[in-house]
Amino acid sequence: MMDVKRIISKIEKGYIKNNLKKEQRVDGRGLWDYRDFEIKTGIITAAEGSCDISLGGTRIMIGVKYDVGTPFPDTPDEGVCTVMAELLPLASPLFERGPPDEESIELARVVDRGIRHADCVQTKKLCIQKDEAVYIIFIDMYVINHSGNMIDCGAVGSLAALLSAKIPQGKWTENGPEWTGEYISGKDIINELPLAITFGKIDDMLFLDPNLAEELVSDGRITISVTKDQITSIQKSGSTTFEIDEIKMLSKKAFEAADKLREDLNLWQYAENIEEE
Amino acid sequence: MTLLIQDEYPKKLFREDGKRLDGREKLDLRPIKMEVDVIKNADGSAYIEWGNNKIFASVYGPREVHPHHLAKPDKGILRVFYRMATFSVFDRKRPAPGRREKEISMIISDCLEPVLFLELYPGTSFEVFIEVVDADGGTRCASTTVAALALADAGVPMRSLVTSCAVGKIDGELVTDLSGIEDKAGEADLPTAMTWFNDELSLLQFDGQITQSELEESLEMAQDALEQIYEMQLDALKRKYINIQEEAED
Repeated sequence: MMDVKRIISKIEKGYIKNNLKKEQRVDGRGLWDYRDFEIKTGIITAAEGSCDISLGGTRIMIGVKYDVGTPFPDTPDEGVCTVMAELLPLASPLFERGPPDEESIELARVVDRGIRHADCVQTKKLCIQKDEAVYIIFIDMYVINHSGNMIDCGAVGSLAALLSAKIPQGKWTENGPEWTGEYISGKDIINELPLAITFGKIDDMLFLDPNLAEELVSDGRITISVTKDQITSIQKSGSTTFEIDEIKMLSKKAFEAADKLREDLNLWQYAENIEEE
Repeated sequence: MTLLIQDEYPKKLFREDGKRLDGREKLDLRPIKMEVDVIKNADGSAYIEWGNNKIFASVYGPREVHPHHLAKPDKGILRVFYRMATFSVFDRKRPAPGRREKEISMIISDCLEPVLFLELYPGTSFEVFIEVVDADGGTRCASTTVAALALADAGVPMRSLVTSCAVGKIDGELVTDLSGIEDKAGEADLPTAMTWFNDELSLLQFDGQITQSELEESLEMAQDALEQIYEMQLDALKRKYINIQEEAED
């Protein structure tokens, strides 16, 4: 068992801070390094798409399900995509049972906002009949082990789960929506891959991908979701404050980190029926 | 829910060659894989793949009881939370736990309690969290089996392990370990669990229709299956330490 506590001792706090001052991390990484990602897709037989993703010790199971429903009146020809996150009490002694708390809602919403904007989820293609029937795509994240930075882990995992998804193709008939016998997948569901990049801040020291100990010591963090050339969402959270120059620097770092991640992970390899780009 | 593909079951549950739809003989179990110590944050944990079922279990405790009024002054309490992920079933499940999950939690809790020495831990609780991430028939049996492993992995003193497996009746024939389709389209389902310190049944439910002699035969079949699964549980527990030994030798 790992020693997970709500409160970190002064000695450990000092150790983490002193390391950061020397531009070192307690787990041996540099300031701007990610822990290792491990991704497996298509593991849940009951789900249309799925992903088992680990970022260091953080592990999340993500499933994609669909439903056919009526569109929102203001977007009559667009499908809907919703993200939910559950911080299972199984995953950490810090998580409690009960309805979703702030932390899980924030996780779901930040991941959601990252992929909602940009040319990511192809809502227009997820329409079966204008005003009548559209797809509702559910991305549900279940945290299996919590070891810091669930947002970045969940964001990458959601993309991989969407990429691996195969959703029955519907056509509109007099009797309502019916299955054509084919499936939609890949670029008909998702086109662009925005990545959430999270930075922690302890005193005035900034670093990428906080692990659990660093998360508990830090006063706050900032998540910047980026595509190749656009920022799609920002979330500052925690009680810390950021200088404007720090934000400028971090947004640049976010693009750099995302470019590297995109290359390292090569997410398109998880797509159904798509040749690698 | 409006789904484009409907969840339909075949009329026959045996193939032309007399085998079951997934190629098993009547007494065969589905492939089972178990592993302990998969969730590092937990005091003990285990994972099981049983056919298409994929289930995580973790154990925390003995720890303080929340809410406090549940604590008992003379013994510890065991609380089991069986939950299914929204994407674990054909129709997306609602995220909040339903009546079925609460009942199964209680059944599993009652099943595990006889093997624990709760009287040694007054005022505390053991919590077992079970998360079914992929479901294909027999999740309560797989969950009980994996929960017992997680308790053992946590080092909680136990009189013995608990092993669980279902027997059922499909197309008029008794078979071991019903798959999802067989469970839904079959005639009867008899989940059982055995506590090995006294070789007695600690979980027993039944629904469907069978005769008294079929019940007797089913229980014999269950015992054979339980013995096989018990060996796999022991292997999974030993493997953790064999792996540690091998790592140390490298």
